[in-house]
Order: sequence, then C-alpha cells, then structure tokens
Amino acid sequence: MKKMSEFRLPDDVRYSEDHEWARLEGDAIRVGISDYAQDQLGDITFVGMPNVGDAFSQKQEFGTVESTKAVSELFMPIGGKVLEVNEALEESPGLVNEDPYGRGWLILVKPDNPDEFNSLMTKGDYAKRLKGAE
Amino acid sequence: MNKLGRTVFYDRHVALGARIVEFAGWEMPVSYPTGTVAEHLATRRTAGLFDISHMGRMLVGGSGAIAFLQHVLSNNALALEVGEAQYTLIPNSNGGAVDDAYLYRFVEDQYLLVVNAANHQKDWEHFQPFLSDFPNVDLRDRTKELAMLALQGPMSREMLLKIIQSGRLPEPLHNATSIARMCDAQVMIGRTGYTGEPIRFELFIGREHALRLWDKLVEVGATPCGLGARDTLRLEAALPLYGHELGRDIEGKDIPAFAVPLSKFAVSFSPLKGEYVARAALTRQQAAFKKIVFGDYSLISDLPRMIRPIAMVGRGVARAGDKMFKDDACVGYVTSGTTTPMWVFEGEGLASRPTDQHKLRSIGLALIDSDIEEDEKLAVEVRGKRIEAVVVPYHISSETPPYARPIVYGCKLAQKKSSNEEGPRKAYRLLETALQNTIWRQQECINLIPSEMTLSPMARLLSVIDPAFRYAEHKKVKAFYDAEIFYYQGTDFIAEVERLLEEEIKKFLGCKEVEMRPISGQMANMALFSALVDYFNLPDRKREQRRIARVMNHYLGKGGHLSAQPLGALRDYLARDPNTERPAVVNFPVLEDNRYQIDLPATLELIDRFRPELIIFGKSVFLHKEPVAEVRRFLEDRKINAFILYDAAHVFGLIGPQFQDPFAEGADFVTGSTHKTFFGTQRGVIGSLFLEHEKRYELWEAVRRRAFPGSVSNHHLGTLLGLLMASYEMNHFKDQYQPRVIANAKTFARALKDCGLQVAGDPAVGFTETHQVVVHVGHGRGPEIARRLETNNIICNYQATPDDEGFSAAGALRLGVAEMTRFGMAETQFRQLAGLIQEVIRNGSDVSDQVKALRKPFCELQFCFRGDEYADVLKRLRNLL
Repeated sequence: MKKMSEFRLPDDVRYSEDHEWARLEGDAIRVGISDYAQDQLGDITFVGMPNVGDAFSQKQEFGTVESTKAVSELFMPIGGKVLEVNEALEESPGLVNEDPYGRGWLILVKPDNPDEFNSLMTKGDYAKRLKGAE
Repeated sequence: MNKLGRTVFYDRHVALGARIVEFAGWEMPVSYPTGTVAEHLATRRTAGLFDISHMGRMLVGGSGAIAFLQHVLSNNALALEVGEAQYTLIPNSNGGAVDDAYLYRFVEDQYLLVVNAANHQKDWEHFQPFLSDFPNVDLRDRTKELAMLALQGPMSREMLLKIIQSGRLPEPLHNATSIARMCDAQVMIGRTGYTGEPIRFELFIGREHALRLWDKLVEVGATPCGLGARDTLRLEAALPLYGHELGRDIEGKDIPAFAVPLSKFAVSFSPLKGEYVARAALTRQQAAFKKIVFGDYSLISDLPRMIRPIAMVGRGVARAGDKMFKDDACVGYVTSGTTTPMWVFEGEGLASRPTDQHKLRSIGLALIDSDIEEDEKLAVEVRGKRIEAVVVPYHISSETPPYARPIVYGCKLAQKKSSNEEGPRKAYRLLETALQNTIWRQQECINLIPSEMTLSPMARLLSVIDPAFRYAEHKKVKAFYDAEIFYYQGTDFIAEVERLLEEEIKKFLGCKEVEMRPISGQMANMALFSALVDYFNLPDRKREQRRIARVMNHYLGKGGHLSAQPLGALRDYLARDPNTERPAVVNFPVLEDNRYQIDLPATLELIDRFRPELIIFGKSVFLHKEPVAEVRRFLEDRKINAFILYDAAHVFGLIGPQFQDPFAEGADFVTGSTHKTFFGTQRGVIGSLFLEHEKRYELWEAVRRRAFPGSVSNHHLGTLLGLLMASYEMNHFKDQYQPRVIANAKTFARALKDCGLQVAGDPAVGFTETHQVVVHVGHGRGPEIARRLETNNIICNYQATPDDEGFSAAGALRLGVAEMTRFGMAETQFRQLAGLIQEVIRNGSDVSDQVKALRKPFCELQFCFRGDEYADVLKRLRNLL
C-alpha cells in the first residue's frame, strides 16, 4: 500500500474534507477527486454524474464514484451550477485513477459564491490532514 | 481484532504491495497494485493465481464417512469416484444452506471438504451433533496444514505442465482430480474453481511447500489476484456467494436451496442418501422447481423467488440490497451487483479472439419472483432512482475453452442478407456455385477428412436414377415363411437390389445376417440399441421397458464417437447408474503412453467389476486394432453375458485380414457407415453372426423390426442402388485397396514425424494401423491450423486430443488417407504432402498452388470398374437424366 508521502498533491488546487479538489479557471471551478481518494477506492469502474445545469450547494452530494467493491458519494467542494461534465468518464472511468487532476476531472462549476473557494484546504493543510489519518 | 489469521502466503502479498483487508477473520489481499480490473482481465486472458487458503478444509475418513456425508450434505457422496470432486450444499432442515462446499475424493478412503472461510467455524459446529449418530467418522480440520491456491484461466494448463515433475493433470473434465508432483512436493489438483473459467485448477499442497509453488507459478506467468477479482469473476460467472445468493435473505429467512440454479447439480434425491437433513424440504422445493421450469406457478409458494442474472440496461450500477421492481411492484432485490470488465472479442465463431481492448458492464444477480421470465424488463432502485435492467440467462459462456467469453445482452450475430433475386436467376447461381465447389473439392483440394470418400462415376449415376424417387417398405412375415412382403407395387427391381446388396455385404463382412435399411451409421447404432431394449423386455410387454443396464464404450474425449455416447445415440436406450445417478457407461481405460489405445488388463478388470450388457468397440479417432478377441475370451472364461458390438464406421472398408476381422474375433454385431473407408453412398449397416435356430436370433429379429418400422419407413432407394455398385467395387478391389490405404497412412505418419511434427499413436506399429493419422499441433491451435490448411487447399478436421477440454481447445489434426488413396495417390505423394503441411503449420507458408499441382494428376478415381464395355449402357443411362 502507498505511503502518504507518495500521493500527488498539486498546489494549483484546493482540497475539501471529502477529498475533492477544486481548481480556479477564470470564473469557473473545475472539480475532481484527490490522488488519495482514487487510491482508496481502487479501480474506478463507474462515475455517476449530475446533468449540466443542475445546481448544488457546498457539501451537497452531486454524484457517485464506484469501484468494483464499493460506491462513494461525491460532494460539492463549492456551491454552484454545473457547466460541464467530463463525458470521457462514461467510457473510461479509469481516467480518474490514472490522472485524477487532469483527464480524470469530474465537473466544471459556475460558483454561486466564489469566496467559498477560500474556505478549502491548501496543499499543506490537506497533507497534514492525510498524515493525521495515517 | 488482534487475532486475525494470516495464510502462509501473507508475506508474499505484502511484498507484492497488495491492499490487505480483513475478510472472515483473515488478513487477505483484496487487490494488488495493478488493481481488480487488471486482475480480472488477466484471469480471463492468461491465468490468475488466487490465495484461497483462508477457506476451511476438513478431512472426512473412517468407515462411517460416506454415511455421514450422505446425511449432512445435499449431494450424493456415493457417486464420487476416486479422481472426482462435486459441488454440494450443507443444508439445514428448512432446505436452506448452512453453507455451500466442494467435496473432493483424491484417494480411496478419504474425502476433503472445502467450505467458506466465513462459515468455517459454523460448519464445524453444525457437524458435531451428527457425529454421535455416525460412529467411525474421522473428521479433522486441515485448514492450517494444507494450503490452497486457485490457478484459473486459459493458460493455466500450460503453466502447470511447465512445472509438473511427475504424475499427470486431472482428465480434462470439470471436477476431475489427480495427484501430481510439483516443486518437490505432492500436489492434489482439482479441475474446480470459482471464476467460470473453462480451464481451471485448484491446488492443495502442504503448508511447508506452499511458498515454493506460489513462487513457481508467479515465475511462469500467473497473475496474483485478490479477493476483489475473485468476486467480480464469480459474479460474471453467476456463481453464488454465501451471504448473498445463499443463506439468509434480506428479511433473515432461509433462501431455499433450489433458488440457486446450480443446486440442480448439488442436490441428490437418491434413495441411497436415506432420510438426510433437508430431504423433505428439498423435495418440496424440487417439485415447485419442476413446475416453474415449464411456466406452471401452482407450487410457487414453495419456491417464491429465484436467483437470476441481471444486466443493467440504463446507466447505473446495481448493488446488493437494491430493490427490484416490475412496473410498480417490488419483485425482489439485488443480491450481488457491480461493474465488471470484459475483453472485447473480434472475429466470429471459432476464430474469435480477445483484442487488447476491454469494456466495463454493469451486471448482477438478483433474488426475484419465480414467475419472472428471461428477457423481462425490470427496474433496479439505485440510490432512489429506478434504472432499467433485464433478466438474462448468463453473463459469460464457458463452453468453448480456452476462453470464457462474455455474453452481452442484446448482442446478436450479424444476419446474412437474404437474396432478392428471382427464381431462375437463383437457379443459375446455384448451378454455378455447385460447379465451382465440385471443381475445387474434386480437382484442386487434397481431402484428408477420414470420414469421406468420393463415389465412383457408376455408383454416382446409379444413385440419382430411378428408383431414387420411390418407396419400398418391406418386412418379413411369418405367415409366409418369413417372405419379405412389400407394401407398394413397382418394387421388384429394388427388392432384388436390396437382396443382392445383402449378399455382397455378408460376403464382405463374413457374417450371416445384414440389415441395410438404416440410412446412416448413427441410425444403425440406434436401431441396434433400440433392438436390445426390445429384446431385454421380450418376457414382459406390460411394464415400462427397462433400458440397457450398462454399456462399456470409448469416451468421447478419447476418440469415442457420438453414435455410442449417452449424449448422442445411446441417450434414450441406456439406464442411469443408481449409485452415480449418471448414464451407466464405463469407458475403456487407455494406455498412459498412448492414449489412443485400449489398456487391456485395466479393461478386463472393469468388465469384471461393472458387468456391462453391451461392449462397444470402435471410435472416430481410430488408430489401432481393438482387442475384440481378448475381450471375447475373457467374457467366456468368466461367463459374463455381454454383447460385443464392433462399430466399424471409420474402418468399415478396411475390414479383413489387412486390419481386423471383428466377426472372426468374436463380435456379435458389426455396425458401420458405408462411405468412409468403404466405397459407398452415405448409409448405415448392421451385421450379425446369429443363426436362425439360436435362441438369441430373437435379438436379430428385433434388429429387423427396429430398422423397419422402428427407424425408417422409406430408406432412400437411390443410395441403396449406388451402394450395390460400390459393394461390387469393394469386393472386387479390396485386396489391392486395403493394403495401399494402410501403407499410405503409415508412410504419411512417418513423413510427418520426420518433418518434426508430433504424431500420435504407437511408433512400434508405424503410429497407425488404419487410414487415420493424428498430429498434435499445440493446445487450442487445432481449429486455427485446420482453417489455415483449408485456405491452402488441404481439407482435414481439427481434433481434440484426450488431454483437451473440448473441440474449441483442440490441439490436434485428424488426417485420413482413404479418399486420396482411392484417387491413386501413393507413398511418394504422401511424403510430399507431409512437407507441405509442415510448411503451413511451422512457417505459415502459402502452398495452395503446390497442393493443386500435387492433386492434379490424381483426379480420376481408381479401384472401380471402367472400360469400353460399359460405355454404351452408361451413355444411355446418362441420357435419361
């Protein structure tokens, strides 16, 4: 099993308590799950996505990510409206495992309140939190 | 929880970087770093290696072992021969399952029971109270001492063959077992498993040797797989998992054993089992099940819901516990569900192969109302949303080894376009294509199918003229001193033809009676089997007829033919063995070092033990003489009443001093087909030595009755006429033809061997004593190579060897020289042909033109009548067409 120090934790994203990440891209926020989260889940075989146009508040469930063994809920790191979903995951959910911060992104959100972004953890805070879980 | 168990392989799992989880009190690998999907796919493509040492293993011995097992298990332990295993339930008195299990019999007096890890302690305790009722049972736990691995997948056999030191793998049958030596230790091997793989093994080895075996299997390429892949594989195979499909349902009630389709094979109602635990409850369930199968739901309350495979149609993943709906009614729930990977296959039929692409699909098993039918659309409630699902028959098919192939809902074979042409145009096209095919098969190909023979021009012409379109049913009538009475007029000519044909065949076989009306060899056998049943039941015509109590034959996988198998022509004439509840056949044992030849001493022992009523010699992979005389002598010495049938189908045209003379050696009957090594049209024949004054002549009369009206009314008079000409040809030319065939076969075999190919059969007799030659080309490669030879104008058939798991895994080619010998090919040509075949097999060369050239001088049929004296009458006949 991987050690905490082996997880990729890029510093251009912020992290939520539920192991989602959020990246500011102009006015929008791109959302995915962290390297730690994908590793915990194992092979991801299905991603249950919201529809474009759906609106969620921060910490509300917006979908599921499933491995052969288990289902995990996905929670909004930031409230807002879904602008895009990553359609590539329908055919290739394994992208979440392979490239969680890149091609394995989940949704693009137009935030209701951009300030919520600042409430998320930085790389350093998230790394500390993961150490605590070790 | 510091008392978790670790199997002997624990350190290996950790070293490989496995994710370790707690499972049933054990620390087990759920997956290795490549992940469950890759492990699942590796198992389906190459071979997966699973540590299953956490499962419970108990040895049952002692003189009371069988009685105990018959009482506490659902299956028939008495049916288990040494070298076999069986799936069984540990039932409770409600007809539910305490557990499901596998019972192995590796040795004579000891049984090994493998149970689920999660139920190990419970099963042990469940057994204890019964032990006092069954003295002399030695029940011991061997979970610690004996490690257990599963090696499953298309390459698993090859991997084991690489490491086996002595002994052999189990026979290529599901649930066969053997003991062999690997890694300097004794390994007990079962062809069992929990993945749906058609080629699969489970291995038991002493704990102290187990790591060596693990390391060796990894070294030869097995992919370690965790519990995650074990679960997705078994789900894809629709195999039940205790706690999901077996045990208690969602409300805590027993799931009836018969709710699981596999129980059909795990439950026995043999009287030999006595009043075992759950007999009453299981009997009720079976009664309901029997009705449900035919859509009668009157007893559905005894079996309200059954486990069925489901496939998701809508997007979503069904999970255990999700409710299922039909319209708005809840009809059950999902017992197991997930997304499983599958290889994408390309190509059609036997040629289909997995690509490098894989897909995912969402499938499950569900416990749903028993009146729901296949293909019915249901909905699964997934996290509050209803998603469409459908009841399917299965998710994979294991019937064509080496691969377990995914069966995807809605996937159908592409339909060939139907022709829009007008009748006259279609007629012309048919003539044209038939012409091309005939030129190819008759002038450009080398035909090595041992079952085929080209008719002489005369026999061909006679087959299509009058009386090809007539009827001539007839039978002997006692009131007229056994005169043959015909029912129609205009039959004098064909009546005389049939009489002359009988004379020729009697002369050929050296026998007293022949029956020529069966129109195929298989029908000849069926008529004879039917006659035996008729004969055995002569003394009592009021009771249900009894069948043939036991038959000795060649096993299909060891070269036996369908026309003497329970799954073929024997089916309706053969009794079931009351002990095993299986068709009462006993197969000829074969020699260790030449599995195409009967092991005579072992055969005699089996005859003595089983006392068959019918012994059937003859097979479709026919390389050696059959020990007819030796068996006849043994029957006489031991005063065993058995009829000997020599099914000469393949070698009918070789009968005589060059090969074998079954009647002279002691056969009671010879059956055959008239168109393999014989020169005839495609028909069947039965011959017998029985004389009219003998008591047993009544059996011959039964044969006549079961031919007509039992098997045929009209018996295809055109081919009967053609066969008479062919019989004239055979009786006239056989002294030249037969030795040439056998000499050509031996030369061909030797030449193939000299080319470096692996030729089957006894080298001491030149590998073959018939027209056939068998060449081993590698496990599973037969179909592809046979196809490749066809594109090179060499026609033969791929052949499963005695070690192969089925026709699709065939590792040999069966080649016959009879037809090409009749076209005049001699030893020089067969040597050349061997070289060309080797070119195709080894180098993939294109030799199609060389084959055509080799065939070209041999397009005129030999061993038949020719000459000017026939020209005029032949011309007049042809003009009548």
